[in-house]
Amino acid sequence: MLRKASSFPEEMLEHVLSFITSDKDRNAVSLVCKSWYEIERWCRKRIFVGNCYAVRPEMVIRRFPELRSVELKGKPHFADFDLVPDGWGGCVYPWIAALATAYPLLEEIKLKRMVVSDESLEVIAKSFKNFKVLVLSSCEGFSTDGLAAVAANCRNLRGLDLRESEVDDPSGQWLSRFPDSFTSLASLNISCLGAEVSFSALERLVGRCPDLKTLRLNHAVPLDKLANLLRGAPQLVELGTGAYSAELQPDVFSNLAGAFSGCKELRSLSGFWNVFPGYLPAVYPVCSGLTSLNLRDANIQGADLIKLVSQCRSLQRLWVLDYIEDIGLEALAACCKDLTELRVFPSDPYGAEPNVSLTERGLVSVSEGCPKLQSVLYFCRQMTNAALVTIAKNSPRMTCFRLCIIEPRAPDYQTLQPLDLGFGAIVENYKDLRRLSLSGLLTDRVFEYIGTYAKKLEMLSVAFAGDSDLGLHHVLSGCEKLCKLEIRDCPFGDNALLANAAKLETMRSLWMSSCSVSFRACKLLGQKMPRLNVEVIDERGPPDLRPENCPVEKLYIYRTIAGPRFDMPGFVWTMNGDSV
Amino acid sequence: MELQLGHRSLPTYNFIENFDLNNDGFEPKDQMLGSKPWISCEDGNNMDNKRSSEVAFGKNTRYASRELPLLLWSGQPNDEDDWNGEKKISCSINKNGEEENRVEGWPPINSWRKKVLHQDQDQARHVMNSSRMAAAGNYENGDGSNSKYVKVKMEGVAITRKIDLRLYNSYQTLTKSLTSMFAKCQNLGNDAARYSLTYQDKDGDWLVAGDVPWQSFMESVQRLKIVRNAG
Repeated sequence: MLRKASSFPEEMLEHVLSFITSDKDRNAVSLVCKSWYEIERWCRKRIFVGNCYAVRPEMVIRRFPELRSVELKGKPHFADFDLVPDGWGGCVYPWIAALATAYPLLEEIKLKRMVVSDESLEVIAKSFKNFKVLVLSSCEGFSTDGLAAVAANCRNLRGLDLRESEVDDPSGQWLSRFPDSFTSLASLNISCLGAEVSFSALERLVGRCPDLKTLRLNHAVPLDKLANLLRGAPQLVELGTGAYSAELQPDVFSNLAGAFSGCKELRSLSGFWNVFPGYLPAVYPVCSGLTSLNLRDANIQGADLIKLVSQCRSLQRLWVLDYIEDIGLEALAACCKDLTELRVFPSDPYGAEPNVSLTERGLVSVSEGCPKLQSVLYFCRQMTNAALVTIAKNSPRMTCFRLCIIEPRAPDYQTLQPLDLGFGAIVENYKDLRRLSLSGLLTDRVFEYIGTYAKKLEMLSVAFAGDSDLGLHHVLSGCEKLCKLEIRDCPFGDNALLANAAKLETMRSLWMSSCSVSFRACKLLGQKMPRLNVEVIDERGPPDLRPENCPVEKLYIYRTIAGPRFDMPGFVWTMNGDSV
Repeated sequence: MELQLGHRSLPTYNFIENFDLNNDGFEPKDQMLGSKPWISCEDGNNMDNKRSSEVAFGKNTRYASRELPLLLWSGQPNDEDDWNGEKKISCSINKNGEEENRVEGWPPINSWRKKVLHQDQDQARHVMNSSRMAAAGNYENGDGSNSKYVKVKMEGVAITRKIDLRLYNSYQTLTKSLTSMFAKCQNLGNDAARYSLTYQDKDGDWLVAGDVPWQSFMESVQRLKIVRNAG
């Protein structure tokens, strides 16, 4: 006997759906049939909008009336590297204003690379009575006045995370705006703040919030005050220290070591600005339990660094500067068998000469010693195909591989060949690779490998690579799951783009800067593809003042159901239909 | 003439006429053998690229009437043997790495971090200085000096390192740290005694470290060099 989907009780389906939280699964559910679409949309609680211009807030509100959590992303990823001029867009206010009216019960707002004004923060603070979590990741445009409004009004706030945001006119008094009756804080990340915060307010806040599990301080919190904070929050799981230096005084040291010993739940450490090595042993008591260590801002070198890392045998994630060198990575490979994520950042990225002995050998050691390695970001100054092939074979679980050889177009330093074969081995062996960043000398061949093998690849970053449009064509026609593609300084032009125009509608976005795409091709694409916004960014002035075959400076193409945007600054032109 | 590279190639048909949204995507394989040529949208003069491939150009289109040149595809797939450095594009980074010659946005470091790090160092120095002065200790740094990062070069070692002298309070702690830093690459061990620490002072003179009080040393040192003892 056949049962129709509609005879299945709605409440039952709703209950089942409450266990389905992944966006992709939810989207799939909504496509089964009309009634499932309806049921699903009424009970969806969280939404992730990967590009704030892909949809208008009213559309989201109309479809999902019961949201409790909204996550938005604004500027393209290359904005992190100053490639997107100021004023480009990504202003969140229109969203906040719409959400404030539609969702009085909203609990979470998470924003990445968006421009957030103090006014937006004030609206958030006053509109949502049960507001719980605010995450502002790589955002800008607000000051501590906005934060003060949040502190003063959000009585049930559980999380305030300002990771990597630029906060204007910093003054520490906003922390005092949390009322004395406020005790719900579980997570506070103020590591990006430039100036001092009121320490006494911080200490009182930490002391009265028994659920505080995450505390990331900024550099202005001095080391000699850290012990007091820790004693007030021994339940901390994640800690970011402030500046980690002071005159070496025995009582300060023992106080600190004692405080760390009391933090039995500590699993993640970060901070360590301006490290005075004499104080490092104070954290040794917690090292064996650490799963995450972020030394990205720590100027620890040599033996001190190796000793610290070698004690963290449970480490799963390590972010570190290249001070660790090959020798430190060997030690890491020997000690930390559970390592899943490694990021090695350059301590002197603009120096012409290497200042540390960090080469391809370090990464090879880690790939050999750490079988669970899944995610790598590695800045170095030399690489070989042989090393890449070895790394490719050693780490079958890799899902994110980002290599940055600092010199653009650097070949295999031993054979002087392009690194096509090395990266080819990477994509061929890493069957689950979702994210890849290329560097070094690369021809169209590497893109052929990528198009052939990287079938699960979702995000690809390319710089100074390739010979011709064929390279771009291989990627666009071969990478079935491609979602985000960002390209700079490559000789890719009109042909591959136009030949694969339909592909662009299956992706979130494409960024191309300093390539060879002509204004004419942009216009054509914009006219023929109404579901794409084709935006030309050109600070030289209007593109139609130059010959049509002149390449545009920067091009940002993204799929959208919102139509062309209206908040573009003077250096951005939309290629859509009549407006060209 | 068609484009062929391995099993994948760009479609060889006329873009403008066939640019139809009703096409469900493109099937390059099916059209590989098609006879319609396709369009190049540039004439190469204003292009700032180093393309080695050129494409056949189609007629009978709006764009054709704009007299773009007829170009021929040279036909050879990329082959490792072909690469003898001719295609190498000269790097735009100045070898001495000066800031003015930096490639914009490269290497891909988070720009926020660059700004904050400088702020941090200044701020932290300020905090450090204040707390030291407040402690009324025997260490004074009242001149509000700038960064005390100095380069350290060791004879025979390719890599020049940088250290922050602010972290040390005596020659002993400094040399101990330097020994451990450099010993690893040189396998010095007991040979440390055969090296001397020299420094360049404000006047540009090279002096042996240790003769003047630590304070004076800190104020005048510009860079360090570890040299082998003669004999």
